[in-house]
Amino acid sequence: MNREDVKSRVYKVIANVLKIDTGQIEENQSFSADLGAESVQSVELMAGFEEEFEIEMDEDEALGVQDVGGAIDFICKHLD
Amino acid sequence: MTTKYELQETDEPNLLDDMFDYSQPPKIQFDGPLVEEIDGKQVSFDPQEALQRDLVVTDTTFRDGQQARPPYTVEQQVKLFDMMAKLGGPNGVIRQTEFFLYTANDRKALDDCRALGHKFPEVTSWIRADKGDFRLVKEAQVKETGLLTPSSDYHIFYKLKKDRRKAFDDYIEVIDAAWEAGIRPRVHLEDVTRADFDGFVMPYVSELKRRSEQVPADMHVKIRLCDTMGFGVSTPGVKLPRSIPKMIHRMTHDIGIPPECLEWHGHNDFHKVHINGATAWLYGCNAVNTTLFGFGERTGNPPLEGALIEYIALHGDLCGINTLMIQEMADYMRSIGVDIAHNYPFVGRDFNTTRAGIHAGGLRSDERIYNIFDTTTLFKRPPRVSITDKSGVDGVALWVNAFLGLEGDERLSKIKVHKVARWVMDQYEVHSRMSAITDEELEEQVKQSMPDQYAARVKKAS
Repeated sequence: MNREDVKSRVYKVIANVLKIDTGQIEENQSFSADLGAESVQSVELMAGFEEEFEIEMDEDEALGVQDVGGAIDFICKHLD
Repeated sequence: MTTKYELQETDEPNLLDDMFDYSQPPKIQFDGPLVEEIDGKQVSFDPQEALQRDLVVTDTTFRDGQQARPPYTVEQQVKLFDMMAKLGGPNGVIRQTEFFLYTANDRKALDDCRALGHKFPEVTSWIRADKGDFRLVKEAQVKETGLLTPSSDYHIFYKLKKDRRKAFDDYIEVIDAAWEAGIRPRVHLEDVTRADFDGFVMPYVSELKRRSEQVPADMHVKIRLCDTMGFGVSTPGVKLPRSIPKMIHRMTHDIGIPPECLEWHGHNDFHKVHINGATAWLYGCNAVNTTLFGFGERTGNPPLEGALIEYIALHGDLCGINTLMIQEMADYMRSIGVDIAHNYPFVGRDFNTTRAGIHAGGLRSDERIYNIFDTTTLFKRPPRVSITDKSGVDGVALWVNAFLGLEGDERLSKIKVHKVARWVMDQYEVHSRMSAITDEELEEQVKQSMPDQYAARVKKAS
């Protein structure tokens, strides 16, 4: 799976959890400061990524990811 | 000129383990004496000397404790006495407990408790300073009795309607009668923290000391310092009669009452009841009089269980105290209809329960961060979280893992409990809930969103 595929599916999860349009999402945006994710939503995002990509993420590492681009890179690395 | 302090970087955290040994209540360590200025002189009190004395806890659950509530039945008193004996252990840290003698139930409770055959707590009685009451003490075959002798002019003039000389003479007459009856008198100086020390207390206690010297040592008068209205103050520099350090010093040093014959009895009208008792120990008084969970007249007395935890903390050792009994006694009290506040230390429902998400996060990392000591081992009460909108996903994860009995690497991450956490947040954000989530509600959510883990838990429990 290439990075663009991952990006597209990450945007879909973010839009679903945060209830926003994918067109509002940019790679350099922070989940909390820019997209308004609250504490529970941050965890729901990670749960959404796990489900979407059928992966298990380390909690501390996953919740350490702060922005959209970081999430894409983190998942790509996980899938490698 | 101020000292410049340099940061000391370290690879290993300094957890101050010698002071905060998690297996016990943290030891109270001293690095110097307690100092009080008395009559213009600096007087030192050595805490190490205090710890070498035979410090004890005494109990008045069945006397002062009953003045604050409907009477206990005989069966309830016997049950509590039996548990108290186990709690205090074989060393008799809970050395004595006192009983009324006035009703048939009072006397039966005393007899039935004594019939259990426990060495400790020893049974004593409490009577008014009335010679006629000695018949009850003699019939009960009690070796020691408390005698109520008010010491402030509030009581002498306005309650007893006497002058000092009349009160003094009447008290002495009754105490002499105790000795004549072969009963050891424990003289309760009622309202001593509001008494004229030089004008009444010192002459009175000096006379008691003088008369004690005429009787065998095991009959020497005991002095109970009764802070009837909770006016006592532990802070150095406070004037008599409110100063606990000065009061005890005058008893031990100026009159020569030995520490084993001194007892502190406090009340909690100013929230000072526990620390005043602990202070009395350190300044020369061997016994602190307490009631179970602090129930006593008005605002109550020093809590028995608090004094025991203080005892352990001072000695750095359990000293034979069975801390598990504290919870059993609390459960028993609840079972007979006694309310214990949820936030009450050591036994309240929520004493080691957090609602704050950041605290729950700390507990998940290492329970020592937000738990006072190993309450799981000492009380069978592991730290808990109570779930509200402030608990966060950390709190939910902690609750779920505790409920499922998962520890170490088995524990579920926050990611795995997100559905339960979402349900919790929706209760507040969507449904405007104002109360905490109950354990039953959370269990239902675990059952619905994590059926495999729930089934494993049920199987494990069965």
